[in-house]
Amino acid sequence: MENGIVFSIEEFATFDGPGIRSTVFLKGCPLRCMWCHNPEGQEFDAQYVRNPNGCLHCGRCLSSGTGELTQESVGACPRGLVRLCGETYTPRALTERLLKNASLLQAAGGGVTFSGGEPLSQPVFLKRCLDLMEGKLHRALQTSGYCEPTLFREILSRLDYVLFDLKLIDEAAHLHYTGVSNRWILENFTLLAKSRIPFVVRVPLIPGVTDTAENLTSIASLLRENGVSYAELLPYNKMAGGKYAMVGRDYTPTFDEHQAPASRPELFAAYGIDIKIL
Amino acid sequence: MTERVQNLLSILQKREYRTWRVTNDLDINAEIKHLDRYHRDAYRFKIMLEHEKAVLFEGERIGFYRHAKDFPYYTRPEDGYISGWGFGNLTPNYERVLSQGLDAVLEEIREKRRTMDATHTSFLDALEMTVVAALALADRYREAAKAAHPELYGALGQVPHKPPRSFYEACVFMKFIIFTLRCNANVHLTIGRFDQYMLPYYQADLDRGVAREDLLDILEEFFVSVNFDTDLYQGMQQGDNGQSVVLGGYDANGHDAFNDLSMLCMEASMELNLIDPKINLRVNKETPFSLYLLGTHMTKQGLGFPQYSNDDVVIDGLVKLGYDYEDAVNYTVAACWEFIIPGCGADIPNFITMNFPKVVNDTLHAELEGCENYDQLWEKVAQAIRAECDALMEEANTKSQFSTCARQSPYLSLYIDGCLEKGLDFSDAAAKYNNYGCHGAGISNAADALAAVKKTVFEEKSIGKRELLDALERNFEGCEELRLRLLDCPKMGNNDDAVDDISIALMEIFSSYLNGKPNDRGGIFRAGTGSAMEYLLSASKVPATADGRRAFEPYASSFSPSLTARVNGPLSVLQSFTKFDMTKIINGGPLTIEIHDTTFRNEDGIEKVARLVQLFIRLKGHQLQINSINRDRLLDAQKHPEKYPNLIVRVWGWSGYFNELDLPYQNHIIRRAEFRA
Repeated sequence: MENGIVFSIEEFATFDGPGIRSTVFLKGCPLRCMWCHNPEGQEFDAQYVRNPNGCLHCGRCLSSGTGELTQESVGACPRGLVRLCGETYTPRALTERLLKNASLLQAAGGGVTFSGGEPLSQPVFLKRCLDLMEGKLHRALQTSGYCEPTLFREILSRLDYVLFDLKLIDEAAHLHYTGVSNRWILENFTLLAKSRIPFVVRVPLIPGVTDTAENLTSIASLLRENGVSYAELLPYNKMAGGKYAMVGRDYTPTFDEHQAPASRPELFAAYGIDIKIL
Repeated sequence: MTERVQNLLSILQKREYRTWRVTNDLDINAEIKHLDRYHRDAYRFKIMLEHEKAVLFEGERIGFYRHAKDFPYYTRPEDGYISGWGFGNLTPNYERVLSQGLDAVLEEIREKRRTMDATHTSFLDALEMTVVAALALADRYREAAKAAHPELYGALGQVPHKPPRSFYEACVFMKFIIFTLRCNANVHLTIGRFDQYMLPYYQADLDRGVAREDLLDILEEFFVSVNFDTDLYQGMQQGDNGQSVVLGGYDANGHDAFNDLSMLCMEASMELNLIDPKINLRVNKETPFSLYLLGTHMTKQGLGFPQYSNDDVVIDGLVKLGYDYEDAVNYTVAACWEFIIPGCGADIPNFITMNFPKVVNDTLHAELEGCENYDQLWEKVAQAIRAECDALMEEANTKSQFSTCARQSPYLSLYIDGCLEKGLDFSDAAAKYNNYGCHGAGISNAADALAAVKKTVFEEKSIGKRELLDALERNFEGCEELRLRLLDCPKMGNNDDAVDDISIALMEIFSSYLNGKPNDRGGIFRAGTGSAMEYLLSASKVPATADGRRAFEPYASSFSPSLTARVNGPLSVLQSFTKFDMTKIINGGPLTIEIHDTTFRNEDGIEKVARLVQLFIRLKGHQLQINSINRDRLLDAQKHPEKYPNLIVRVWGWSGYFNELDLPYQNHIIRRAEFRA
């Protein structure tokens, strides 16, 4: 399957790599991070979503009787709150759309970033797009690092920049909070560190989960082992649960959302790592 | 910020001083009955000033605040107009009066009186009356300052009689001019290129060894002081008062003239966080990136400025309209965004408005059923635009004699080049430029509507002509699905030639037909991309349009994507709105982009917003308004105004306190597209 499913394209992304970037969010993710703020990016298929803000609860969107949102729901909602999330693109169509801004993106020292969801989960589409953009746009990947290492190597060779998430070093904890093991992730991180591709490591600070002294020490130590001297920390944002109602789900984290995440700069300093809090 | 500035600021923000003001309610009809038209205005000014008492706050160094809330009034026998709103929306020539001092000006008036023929006597006498009255007020302030305000007392011993000897005295003189012109009921007067005409005084102080921070204090006191009486200034809404400065831009030799005083103005504005003076930044191909960065830091504060204008486009455009290069290069920005010439210009840049969506809509209703293809429809639209241009020009030429430009204003004339020289009031067309501007409201809505008709009616044939017109007449009642199909058509702001080409054609017809046509004051007409308040007022009378806009809903403000358009993002918007050669449509009217305030949360985000502004300028955009906005905060402020007494927002060409705006203006600001990043 060469086509891809995209759930959003942000033209003026300011935190997804160098310069002004356009970020493409590919739909679908094998991880289920408890703190995920893009729940509409988790399912692989296109899905109908309903923005709860302004909903009149008139029920017209459910008039099909199946209890599910359908194509009819889009036109039926008097406030236009229902939409199909997930648009199919051929690699060529997506590339053409992004290339329309190529000269501006280049002039502003930026390019394109593939994010998600987990962009590595649509590998054929991703590779094809990256090939089509070669030499025309600076190409970045924002990833959890979760994919089979052979595949990661193949993708890496097509990239100009990587934003790599490190969440939890303890495998059991990783499995518990994200639903998957981190073995591939750690292996891929080593591959990345050995490659010549410029990259940045990002660590989400989830209160009581990833921001513990133990976990951050493990991360800092891993970074030093791999010759990395800089990392970006993303403190948990209480808005993370904001989009769950839209996809008809409850947001039920087991950690304490209201506790301020700890960034522990002294700990990173001890390992000679500069940090920036985003 | 010094304690003195802080004190003045807190007096301003408590707003208690407003309760001390008096209402004079002076009917001067009986006294002016026998006076000629020049003396009527001069007499009212004299009476106004005679009733003003010196208002001086503790520690005050600047002075000149309103004691009376109202103007003396009389009814003009010619047209029944009750005096009180005079000419304005221009940049007076402060420079000349500052450099001469009013004693010398008075001498010059008397000299003209002796040497010119008798037809000028009345004007010159009236002018003399105003200058004498203004000087008398300054002398009363000096007396009042004697006891407890030694610095102001000292300054007023020099200015406004004689030229300032320091930056401080120049600021006092400036405040005196601003105050007296506003007492003459002249509205929307801008402060103009403050960083250029005040530079000699600033530089001389620095050369003398005065510390830069002391000059910053003085500037801050001046800036705070111009905010005190803005609630008394006439405008469409509070905040719409024209008190803006223009910083940077080319000098007469074509070199960028952003200087240390420009920087000082930026610093003062960022520290004070006040509505006035609003900041316009002139930028060009020489502008260093550091200035965009500084401007973006200012945008971050959420006051809605700076507004950027592109010298390389504006000057070229003004020259094409017939302005001399040395005047065009000196351009300033009027109360909102119209490009005007300081000193020698008496243009009325906001006189008439082309209501694009209405013209297109009326044409659809009248002609669509008779058109076999889009080209035929376009021909009808083009005809309608030319006809509307004719009607608007006719309207302007007719209404000018009842407008403020026909109301004599000797004191204002003192600040417009050519008037004293010729012994004529500005209303006698004594100024060098007397042009009329025509706004172009709702360009995006109109282009979107035509693109939707072209696609659905003529290309896809998915909507019937009658079906569309019926749906519009019914305001889409029962045709929701049809409306969604219209909303799904190409929209301006997505870098889509299918609709952008239509906007280009609309602007081409409008500007090529209207630009340069003569007006009744010896000037010409000039086309622009602004909407002023018409995006709400005119729109509130226009039924549903084919872009999917419901009846009476607002248009986009000035030159921006429509409120119903789904746009890809700022990069596409920049490209859509720079495709036309903007030098051809240079009356003014910015592209407005709202960016969520979280984008500005660190240096990285700020740098990228600054790059975005720079991209717009490189794409040869003419004018940009970029706002940091947080929709949730605005919604909360609507519900709990008491929590946000000092929340400032950009409205159209100006900024105002959110709480002081009428509801439709508040709602429009909330609805404008946000590009979350």
